[in-house]
Amino acid sequence: MRTRTSLLGLGFVSPALALLFAFFLMPVVLTTVFAFTNMSTATGITGGSHVITGNLLRDLGNAGIDNDVITALGEASFSVTSETLAAAADAGVEPRFLGEIEARLMGQNFEDARSFESALKSLPSRPTRIRELKLATEPFERSILNTRYASRADMEAAITSMAPDAPAETISTIAEASYTGWRWIDGGNFQTLLDRPETIRIVLNTVFYVAATLAFNVFVGLFLAITTFYLPKTGAGFFSVLWLLPRITPVVLYAVMWKWFTWDNGFLYVIAEQLGLPAFNYMKGSVPTAWATIILVNGFVGASFGMILFSGALRAIPIQQLWASEVDGASRWQQIRQIILPQLRWPILFVTSYQTLSLLSSYEQIWLTTNGGPGSTTTVWALEAFNTALNNYTGNLEYGMGAAMALILVAVGLVLSILYLRMFRFDELVNKPRIEF
Amino acid sequence: MTRNFSAWPIYALLGILSAPLAVMYLFLVIDTFTNAPPGSLIPNEFTFHHWRFLWDASVTGDVWGPTATTFLFATTMVVIVLAVSSTAGYAISRLNLPFRRFFLSGIMVMHAFPSVTLIIGVFLVLQFAGLYNTLIGVILVKASLMLPFGVWIMKGFYDQVPWEIEMAGVQDGASRFTVWRRLILPQVTPGLLSLGIFAFIDGWSEFMLPRILAPSANFQVLSTYLNVVSDPNSTTYNFNLFKSVGLFYTLPILVLFAVFQNRLMNIFGGGTKG
Amino acid sequence: MQVTLKDFTKTFDDMTVIDKMNLTVEDGEMLALLGPSGCGKSTTLFAICGIHRINGGQILFGTRDVSNVPSQKRNVGVVFQNYALYPHLTVSENIAFPLSVRGDDKAKIEREVRAIAELTHIEELLARRPAQLSGGQQQRVALARALVRKPDVLLLDEPLANLDAKLRLEMRSEIRRIQLETGITAILVTHDQVEAMSMCDRIAIMNKGEILQIATPTDMYRAPVNKFVAGFLGNPPIVMLEGKASGDGRFIVNGGAGLPLPSRLANIPGDTPLSLGVRPEHFGAAGASQVSGTITFVEPQGRETLFDVTLADGVVLRSIQPAREDVALGHKVAWPLDAEKLLAFDATGQAV
Ligand SMILES: Nc1ncnc2c1ncn2[C@@H]1O[C@H](COP(=O)(O)OP(=O)(O)OP(=O)(O)O)[C@@H](O)[C@H]1O
Ligand SMILES: [Mg+2]
Repeated sequence: MRTRTSLLGLGFVSPALALLFAFFLMPVVLTTVFAFTNMSTATGITGGSHVITGNLLRDLGNAGIDNDVITALGEASFSVTSETLAAAADAGVEPRFLGEIEARLMGQNFEDARSFESALKSLPSRPTRIRELKLATEPFERSILNTRYASRADMEAAITSMAPDAPAETISTIAEASYTGWRWIDGGNFQTLLDRPETIRIVLNTVFYVAATLAFNVFVGLFLAITTFYLPKTGAGFFSVLWLLPRITPVVLYAVMWKWFTWDNGFLYVIAEQLGLPAFNYMKGSVPTAWATIILVNGFVGASFGMILFSGALRAIPIQQLWASEVDGASRWQQIRQIILPQLRWPILFVTSYQTLSLLSSYEQIWLTTNGGPGSTTTVWALEAFNTALNNYTGNLEYGMGAAMALILVAVGLVLSILYLRMFRFDELVNKPRIEF
Repeated sequence: MTRNFSAWPIYALLGILSAPLAVMYLFLVIDTFTNAPPGSLIPNEFTFHHWRFLWDASVTGDVWGPTATTFLFATTMVVIVLAVSSTAGYAISRLNLPFRRFFLSGIMVMHAFPSVTLIIGVFLVLQFAGLYNTLIGVILVKASLMLPFGVWIMKGFYDQVPWEIEMAGVQDGASRFTVWRRLILPQVTPGLLSLGIFAFIDGWSEFMLPRILAPSANFQVLSTYLNVVSDPNSTTYNFNLFKSVGLFYTLPILVLFAVFQNRLMNIFGGGTKG
Repeated sequence: MQVTLKDFTKTFDDMTVIDKMNLTVEDGEMLALLGPSGCGKSTTLFAICGIHRINGGQILFGTRDVSNVPSQKRNVGVVFQNYALYPHLTVSENIAFPLSVRGDDKAKIEREVRAIAELTHIEELLARRPAQLSGGQQQRVALARALVRKPDVLLLDEPLANLDAKLRLEMRSEIRRIQLETGITAILVTHDQVEAMSMCDRIAIMNKGEILQIATPTDMYRAPVNKFVAGFLGNPPIVMLEGKASGDGRFIVNGGAGLPLPSRLANIPGDTPLSLGVRPEHFGAAGASQVSGTITFVEPQGRETLFDVTLADGVVLRSIQPAREDVALGHKVAWPLDAEKLLAFDATGQAV
């Protein structure tokens, strides 16, 4: 006997499934897929067209494509068709002259400007001035250079018409090279990352940032939990609210407050000035102070997570144990070492694991404060990935490269979160439904 | 608590450690109502001048439009999160589903998984779906990223409702949907309330998603508004003004926090912000 | 409505909890499912009301096969051990819930709720919430809610387990009264033999997923089919002696003097292994044979006194008698044994 699937259940989970599919699964898939492309602002996202530019022709020449073909593609030709006639009419060529061109030259092609001009000169109502004549030829010019073709077939047709003698293989190579959209570059992004000298620096930054902030979070969290545990209710309440404030303060305002605290003419600046200490913009002015700022900015938010979990675990310790130890004459320090800390092992492990993962991937606070500066001294991996793909002031956003960097974080994140799931046995929290109909 | 140890050394240590926070939040409030002479921190003048942005749009631009948008953003997202989490959480907690365990594990992994790393992928999804630069796109993303947490929390609340209530309802002739709607849902309203407030605060504070996924849209939320206004390199360089705008922006959150502090504590424990 | 289980089988994952159980509950009868913890009473109950699917066999209400009918359509009223009242609804809303789900109109609901509240004596509580009720009151509300839509069958899962001793006594008779007044077919799940014996027309006694015996309380007490049933019923419990038949109508423990066997067993061959069950009330009151020994334990219980008597060969018999103070610990006594009422079981535990 199998218990029947509940239709209501399917209906109830499907909205969640749809949203999670669209905004969790798809992003993972797309990050993975586009990590292997060179997608960027220049290539566009949804695909491209086919264009031959001067630069491309030069590159093709260097790549060994037959010079005749290159020359042919670089040349212009002139043809009289209904389209070019319409273009000429738009360009303001005199209608009577245009009528004659249509009547006599319709459907003809001219290899170069000179032959087309001489054909035009043979017409009765040609313009007298040579400059006007030259202007009139322009709309009839057909060049493959810098013309956009929607599909590859169109491009190939155009190349064939310009260079009829070119071998099919060459045409195909050129058409391929003329594609402006993103393309597969296999492990190219990862190779670039490996080759870049900054990569190792960013990795080291990330490791330092995570380790230092984590240490701050756990130790301060523990310290807060234990101290407030020993305080009377009102005192404990005051400090836990104070430390919770950064958690609920919107990150933008939180960053503003830190700026005020560390900026030129800010709080620390004024104090330092009055004490005769070096006063400068601590957030951006020097590497050590920038690091200190970042670690504190994140640490003051993160410490309350540990505080909450540890406090909960502390409250679960039977108070009799503490009384008993006091009766036995234990000092406070002994009480903490021998009774409290051993019981906090699992919460500490949990906070450490959980925050390792979230620190590894977080960059919001850094972005809003030092933004990786001065220089790129405080740039961490996640910030660099984000900047590469989405926040680049030069204007060329390298989505493919950013995705490759993010993919590494995604992989680490997945591995770690599955590991935690196992470690903390969260998956065993499922109970079988007890109503079987 | 135990009385055998004196409290003052603890107060001293805690005070030193908490000083930066205390200073920052104290001056956040003081600075919005006062002026201090240059090079000093001690105010010498009381003023409402820094709050004039509320009625004078020439100071920092209209603030009420972004306020309304932020409210719309946060409430819509809360509604989506509550609706989807309360149904999915119930299904996982109580109904016969294939792959139920797998689904729950997936939710747990997604909950622990740092969703910010997906931002590039999300950006691409919105591009392909044509939702880039739209409010609805940002709302959907924000709500979805909160879902694993919401479903997990709601599942926990449903787990606490006795099975017998559910069995009694079924026995009384009600369909599972009616049982959920009329008997179980009322038992988890505290959970819905906590989750709703948490989600509202989170949505109200959200900065990254609107900034990244709708950078050139024709709407602004307060976080992006404050970010533009409060650039210390800008011409309006004036921290008193920045703080006033910031405090105005944060006021609703502070009120919610003050009122619902105990409810939120539970949720923070399982919360996502590391 | 008659309820029939035919070859009812239930497994959880790979564990067969109930294997091919057969049971018939007659129309209007109150039947107790009695057994030790974990024997499958609740499982049986949940199968009848449609919370569990059955893995084999059939469940019939009258002649209707309801094996695959969901709970909602079975029209069974259930009272859960913890009452399962809806905490957010008032008492009257709780009772009205089954009716409003059915779509009855307001006036009718009002009327029915009043009527059932009168039957269960909770008229004054209608506006309260469950949290404001005592255990006994909650019990009555749960009963009222289970009965309000006039179910075909009423199921009660350990309804008295959460009450204190005095309330338990009161609710015992209340539930029985209400069952009799409504004439509903009822099944009571309990592990308390006193409850089962005092409230029900018949008892089905279960162990390890099997029904051992179905009988009226008196029949079952007088003639249990096996040792388990004999041991389960009766308080203070029966004393079970292991030994064998002597061949001349007596029972011998460990080669000692022995005790008389009932006359129906006079012809049992010698050396047959037997267990002899002696209920406390059959020793010390009346009977043909005298048994003498020393009082080694006395437990006054108010109206009655319980004695342990150790016989010469070391066998301990228990006796319950109207309170008496003329004998005390260490006294030698010779009391009558009602040999005809003794119970005897063979090596497999079956009654002989
Ligand atoms: N959902 C379930 N999954 C697995 N095993 C179960 C389940 N429900 C009950 N069992 C097992 O079935 C057996 C019978 O359980 P049941 O609840 O019917 O006992 P019971 O007679 O009602 O006991 P009690 O007097 O303690 O309520 C027990 O061994 C129990 O462990
Ligand atoms: Mg049971």
